[in-house]
Amino acid sequence: MRRSLIRWSLFLLAAAVFSLPLVSWAQLTKADLDSRLKMESHVGNITGHAKDGAADYHRYCEGCHGVRGDGNGEVAQWFDPPNFPKPRDFQLGIFKCRSTPTGTLPTDQDLYDAISRGFDRSGMPIWNTFTKQERVDLVAWVKHFSPRFVSEKPGTAIQIPPEPEVTAERVKAGREVFARVQCWKCHGVTGEANGPSASTLQDDLGRPIAAFNFTEGSRPKCGDTDQDIYRIFMTGLDGTPMPSFADNIKPDEAWDLVFYLRSLMREPSKEKAIAQQLGLKPVDPNAPAPTQ
Amino acid sequence: MRIDTQSRLFRNPLSLRYPLTAALIVVFVILSGSQRANALPAFARKYGLRCSACHESWPQLNNFGLKFRDNGYQLMNDHDAPIWQNPSYWPVTFRITPIWHRLSVNQNVDTYAGGVQTGTNSAIDRISSSGFDLSGLDFHTGGTLEKNISFYVLPSSDPTGAFHFETVMGRLDNLFGSPWLNIKFGRFELNNLLSEKRTLFLTGNGGIYQTYHFIPVGDGNIFGQMGDNQLGLEYVGHSVDDRTRISASLLSSSDGNVNLIMGANSYSEFFTFDQAFDAGKLGVQRLGAYAFVGQAATYYKTSGGVPIPGSGIGNKGFSREGFYGQFYFGPHFDLNVVTQHGQDNAWFGQGYGNPIATNGNGAATCTAAPCPPNNFPGTALPVGAQAPSWNGVTFEARYVYSPQLIFLAVYETERMSQQANGSGYTVGFTGPNGLTGPSASNLGNISNYTIGYRYNPFMTSRAGFAWHNEFNIFHQQGTGPASPISGLSTNLTVSELLLGFDFDF
Amino acid sequence: MKTQYKFVAVLSTVVLIACAALVHMPQVNAAGEGKITGTVKLDGPPPHMKGIDMSKDPYCVKANANSTPKMENVVVGASGGLENVVLYISEGLSASALAEKSTTIPVFDQKNCVYTPHVLAMDVGQTFKVETSDQTAHNIHPNPNPMTGNIPWNQSQPPGAPPVEKSWKAPEWIEVKCNIHPWMHGWFAVVKGPYATTDANGNYTINNVPPGNYTVTAWQEQFGTQTAKVAVAAGGAAKADFTFKSK
Repeated sequence: MRRSLIRWSLFLLAAAVFSLPLVSWAQLTKADLDSRLKMESHVGNITGHAKDGAADYHRYCEGCHGVRGDGNGEVAQWFDPPNFPKPRDFQLGIFKCRSTPTGTLPTDQDLYDAISRGFDRSGMPIWNTFTKQERVDLVAWVKHFSPRFVSEKPGTAIQIPPEPEVTAERVKAGREVFARVQCWKCHGVTGEANGPSASTLQDDLGRPIAAFNFTEGSRPKCGDTDQDIYRIFMTGLDGTPMPSFADNIKPDEAWDLVFYLRSLMREPSKEKAIAQQLGLKPVDPNAPAPTQ
Repeated sequence: MRIDTQSRLFRNPLSLRYPLTAALIVVFVILSGSQRANALPAFARKYGLRCSACHESWPQLNNFGLKFRDNGYQLMNDHDAPIWQNPSYWPVTFRITPIWHRLSVNQNVDTYAGGVQTGTNSAIDRISSSGFDLSGLDFHTGGTLEKNISFYVLPSSDPTGAFHFETVMGRLDNLFGSPWLNIKFGRFELNNLLSEKRTLFLTGNGGIYQTYHFIPVGDGNIFGQMGDNQLGLEYVGHSVDDRTRISASLLSSSDGNVNLIMGANSYSEFFTFDQAFDAGKLGVQRLGAYAFVGQAATYYKTSGGVPIPGSGIGNKGFSREGFYGQFYFGPHFDLNVVTQHGQDNAWFGQGYGNPIATNGNGAATCTAAPCPPNNFPGTALPVGAQAPSWNGVTFEARYVYSPQLIFLAVYETERMSQQANGSGYTVGFTGPNGLTGPSASNLGNISNYTIGYRYNPFMTSRAGFAWHNEFNIFHQQGTGPASPISGLSTNLTVSELLLGFDFDF
Repeated sequence: MKTQYKFVAVLSTVVLIACAALVHMPQVNAAGEGKITGTVKLDGPPPHMKGIDMSKDPYCVKANANSTPKMENVVVGASGGLENVVLYISEGLSASALAEKSTTIPVFDQKNCVYTPHVLAMDVGQTFKVETSDQTAHNIHPNPNPMTGNIPWNQSQPPGAPPVEKSWKAPEWIEVKCNIHPWMHGWFAVVKGPYATTDANGNYTINNVPPGNYTVTAWQEQFGTQTAKVAVAAGGAAKADFTFKSK
């Protein structure tokens, strides 16, 4: 009796001593993995579960985004940026289209919108054929690839004030904002993505990337509504050269800029009509920089 | 003698199947080792998506694939025009299907005794044949010529290598920027939710939907086969997310045959509507209805007694209408249902309507008597002739174990509700449709069962390759061999076992 | 039987004592802080630094009209002193010494379309400031590896923009870029504890070092790291010189 007790103690002690480094390592990864597989997402009143999104991810997403979500699916090698941007690496947890400030995680709603909207001029289709529940489950599965979604909370969505009435003054003021913050450095004075810095743009992984061309009738990657455009320059597109202008454009001015950007787009719009009526000229890149 | 050998061979079918299966497995292992093909399925290669993104199991479409097709083979991401493609991109896909199958059918045979023929068609035997075979070759080529302008051309050969154009069409999509305005023109598949051209079955009777092709026994109307590609003009509209879909087609009543050899002045219309519902975890559920109404000629002018192609007049009506349902029960199981109520004019029921017998590819072949009956001026319907009508239903269940493995089962039944030769038909009188006296109420009824599975050993955006195994039993009332005793037709039973490869590259 | 039991008891005690010893590592007295000084030199000919073509932006050309801007990966001063080398204590600092945070706010300026300084060293969690003195728009875009806990961000700084104040969570050499001016290239050198950056002559001083034995690491963006062991006496100055070899 006693003898066996001693033997057991000895064995346990030895086991404990030798497995100390292993235990700490195993506990970390196991706990990490468990919490990631239990990842949930919440959009509206729908709760998504990572495991429920796995089958759809396998069928629809894996070819590009890869089994591990690292953006290295079997076809990723053929994507040819800037015309065909590479698939997103979900492990990094860095996303272009957010309602949250630069450097923060997107909300579940942001990821849901990205899946539903697709990305124009890229390999990412518009996945609006899924049910809402299926999309929310996919959001949870996409999140589970990045440890950041375990350790960090998503950022707080920026406040977008109600959209004001489009007026000639606002379109004109938008042109001034366009000149002041120098959007044209990349997007060009006419919005044709031919600014002086357009040709050397690279994303965070050093791959060539194109500035958005307002004039060819394409939809901006992060959405086409006025609110979407507001959000794009006030949060920045993380992972790309597009910075956040939140510190430099006041909310009211931001709407002016949205209206001016609309007037550069090919599609007919009230803003475009106003700009034509006013005879607005493209901004002058050589004008002395106005200060804030 | 020949029959004897065959039956001996199949007395122990396992003796044949084992080495065969072994050989197939060897080939299969060798092929699955070379996972990256040089040639690529056209659309998957263009967009970099795997087959499974658009196909539940190719060629069957899922909801995303359906939307892609409805958008005119476009993802709608502003990269659909060919200018965005690598110049070496060539939008062609080949599909070939080498198979081994065993076909078994009951049939009248002559009898012999002592080396001398003792009877003509005086016995019924079950003819079973087996062997390696081909089911033809398809050249799919399709894609966009420019944003919202697309095409699809499918030259297809039968197993002997005789080609015809299965599909030739141009599409104009999103006219005025609206997904509700799309036009198809040419020879195309009707907007059937359960597509026969994308069926996952390969056997002779299992590879088509009986509900889409049913024709009463002796009936002369071949024009109401909604499973066949038709010639015409189609309007398609759909919501942005493809939840609501609507189509209307104006078709030549020619069953897709070219050269105006059929009636030439008769038209049909085909309408569909379906609506999908978001059922949360279950997936998207779709309900719809279709109607095929048309007219086809029953009288062709003749020259020296031979019908003149394209001269058809004396149009009579026909209709096919029913419901579609597509029900998903989560990502692994779905059930598809198609119902049909069909009716042909009494003239068709008596066998009129197709005096220009064709080989299905447009060539007129009826140059010598006896040609199918022609509704000459002054012809009268036999007493008791009535409009044949029937009801049918197709159930197709699929269990998707993974995008690479799918199990399938189909049950179809077609039931006559009113025979062309009604109860008032003169007993003993053989009508122009070749049927004698009042027809039994169940004459021509069909029951069709198919089960199978398809396994894709790998899954890429480059090539499709499936190992396919399927078994079908087709059963029809009163169309089998004549009984040697009573002389009456017995029931027809055809069974087919098929093992094969399906290549798509 | 009994000896075995004793052996277990002894072993357990030893393990316990060892653990206790690990927890109560030599506590360093914060009083009487010393410093580490030295010089970092480059041995061999300095590598050629490419000139910068700023013609994309006429403002930048004008701002540098009186000089020829060059890349700043390796800047060698008089007598071979290496500028922009970051020195920090990589081993030996106590938890309490690490917890002590400097209240100074290092400033990273965008001036004449280059970063001043080229390398900005800072402690983990220390607030730093990014300013712009230029009359042209920049975007300040550090690109750390998010797996370290440092999250990339990207903010625009048009002329007259207010400073951006930030800090970093983990030690890392973080590359900073401006996408508008692709030649602009600098570093945030985030380290734990006291640090210093060499001046134009390669001299440095790490202040506020408690007495003790340390490993000092020198990091240069192109040549990597070197280490040296030093002993700092209370109120004294230890010396550690480094020499990087030009390849």
